[in-house]
Amino acid sequence: MIRIDSLHKTFRSRAATVQAVRGVSFCAQDGEILGLLGPNGAGKTTTLRMLYTLMAPQQGRVEVDGLDVQANPGEVRRRLGVLPDARGIYKRLTARENITYFGHLHDLDDATIDARIAALASTLGMEDFLDRRAEGFSQGQRTKTAIARALIHRPRNIVLDEPTNGLDVMTTRRLRGFLRGLRDEGHCIVFSSHIMQEVAALCDRIVVIARGEVQAIGSPDELRQQTGLADLEDVFVRLAALEENTA
Amino acid sequence: MKALWTVARKELIDLFRDRKTVVLGLLLGPLLMPGIILGIGALVENKVRTQLASTLLLPVAGIERAPNLVAFLQSRNIEVTRAPDDPVSAVREQTAPVILHIGDAYATRWRDSLPAPVELTYDSSLQDAQIPLQRVHRVLYEYSATVGSLRGLQRGQSPLAGQAVQVALRDVATPEARRGMLLTFLPYLLILFSFIGSAALVIDVTAGERERQSLEPLLATPVARSAIMSGKILAACLFGMLGLVLIVFAFKLSFQLAPGALAQVHVSLPVAAQLLLVLLPMVLIGTTLLTLLAAAARSVKEAQSYLSILMLLPIAPTIILMVNPVKNQLWQFTVPFLAQNQMILKLIRGEVISPLEWAVYMTCGFALGLLLWLIAARLYHRESLGVSG
Repeated sequence: MIRIDSLHKTFRSRAATVQAVRGVSFCAQDGEILGLLGPNGAGKTTTLRMLYTLMAPQQGRVEVDGLDVQANPGEVRRRLGVLPDARGIYKRLTARENITYFGHLHDLDDATIDARIAALASTLGMEDFLDRRAEGFSQGQRTKTAIARALIHRPRNIVLDEPTNGLDVMTTRRLRGFLRGLRDEGHCIVFSSHIMQEVAALCDRIVVIARGEVQAIGSPDELRQQTGLADLEDVFVRLAALEENTA
Repeated sequence: MKALWTVARKELIDLFRDRKTVVLGLLLGPLLMPGIILGIGALVENKVRTQLASTLLLPVAGIERAPNLVAFLQSRNIEVTRAPDDPVSAVREQTAPVILHIGDAYATRWRDSLPAPVELTYDSSLQDAQIPLQRVHRVLYEYSATVGSLRGLQRGQSPLAGQAVQVALRDVATPEARRGMLLTFLPYLLILFSFIGSAALVIDVTAGERERQSLEPLLATPVARSAIMSGKILAACLFGMLGLVLIVFAFKLSFQLAPGALAQVHVSLPVAAQLLLVLLPMVLIGTTLLTLLAAAARSVKEAQSYLSILMLLPIAPTIILMVNPVKNQLWQFTVPFLAQNQMILKLIRGEVISPLEWAVYMTCGFALGLLLWLIAARLYHRESLGVSG
């Protein structure tokens, strides 16, 4: 379970002060896929980075399985599987070595790692490139490797930043099926996207974020009702109050 | 602790798959070292031999005034030629290293048994003129002494009467120490290689990873940031020491193959082991300092621009010692770079390093390494480290 409570984060540079996140709150239950939906620069990645302890919030509190993130960063990271926005695969290592490295960092033994890699590779369809060096991987192959790497320690909570970015239709469908399977096993999944259809196809509940603030929370149907619009894209544009910008 | 090894192992595997970088990093030093030693050795040897043994061409002005002196010079392997009209500009333009001018009064003063004037024109700032000048000077002195003795004998005086003091020189330099003088550049090279020999790797594993955005997932693992950093430092230290082992052995080999005096420098296995031990704290200091800089820098480019300054640091003590030579004192073993310089010189000169000196040296070296490690670890905990751009 992931609980986020009125997070604030401001970035200061010489040129300007940017309030990236202004009081974001939401809660993702176990056995739920929660979608973080927002336009570019809405504060999704910053919110997730505070969740996986890369950044410290200036205000507010993040809890993972009831543990305060600031107080127990190590234990929280152990309970999280993270796919960052930048996949960050090591080019000179094979896909298998990339995943094994993280398995070792999670203190798993070789036998466990091998068994889990075999399982993840067959679910994600990675067998044909598993033992190739990541140099020259397609974006889909890189994302699959990074997802397998994030899940090698079977985390209870899974955080995915724009997981379907750059993936083709078939890979995206396969990934959706995989994530639903994880949800049905009781995992708590939070993922971000800037595409309404993407979120609607997968999520139980959607958190719409714009300008660093939560604009709405609800299931796709609830959001349709709330806005009185049938088309999901229209719903998103209305909720994120993007109309004045796009008109 | 286990995570530290995991990180170090991965960094080394990653590095060794980058063949070109490894070959450049590991082999350039060992190939450069023999090149420098053999090259400089051969050059100096060759120069000295030709200048000492070959017939020296000496332009002389006023040859006709001193035929005996000219004949004496020629008997000492010095060929006399007619001097140009303007000896000063001839020497400045380096057409001749030394020009002898036999003074106008030479003949008359000679006949009166008074000191006959001759003048040597040379340029002391030209290294090349040293040996020819010494050769001519020595022959002139010899001629003067011989004729002086003969004159004394003619007058019934003992030739020894003209010699009031007999000077004997006792050089206490050991053969090793004298050879060490040829090697003043060596500590600099060794310190430089240990200090920033693995700079490419160190900068890449921190600033490079950050730029490639692979640091973010790494920092999202449960492993403590200081352990990740230490693993990277360990990998760089191991790589640096491997490079130094190769360099020290290249150094040993090249002395065995070197011509002349350098061939007598014997780097025994214990000396080689001690050299590596001396360089170990320097490897740690260099790696932690570079890690610190790489963690503080915004990009690889920024981190790399510190290198040109860092390259000058190891040469500082060499320059200071050249201008202001100081006696061997214990405090010197506490100052980074100077301490390494002194330790390496002692080893090359074949002197004994006392246990106290070893203890002071090692303690200070590792203490500085630890201090830099602590600062680097603080920087590694900065929020901006994991986030690129």
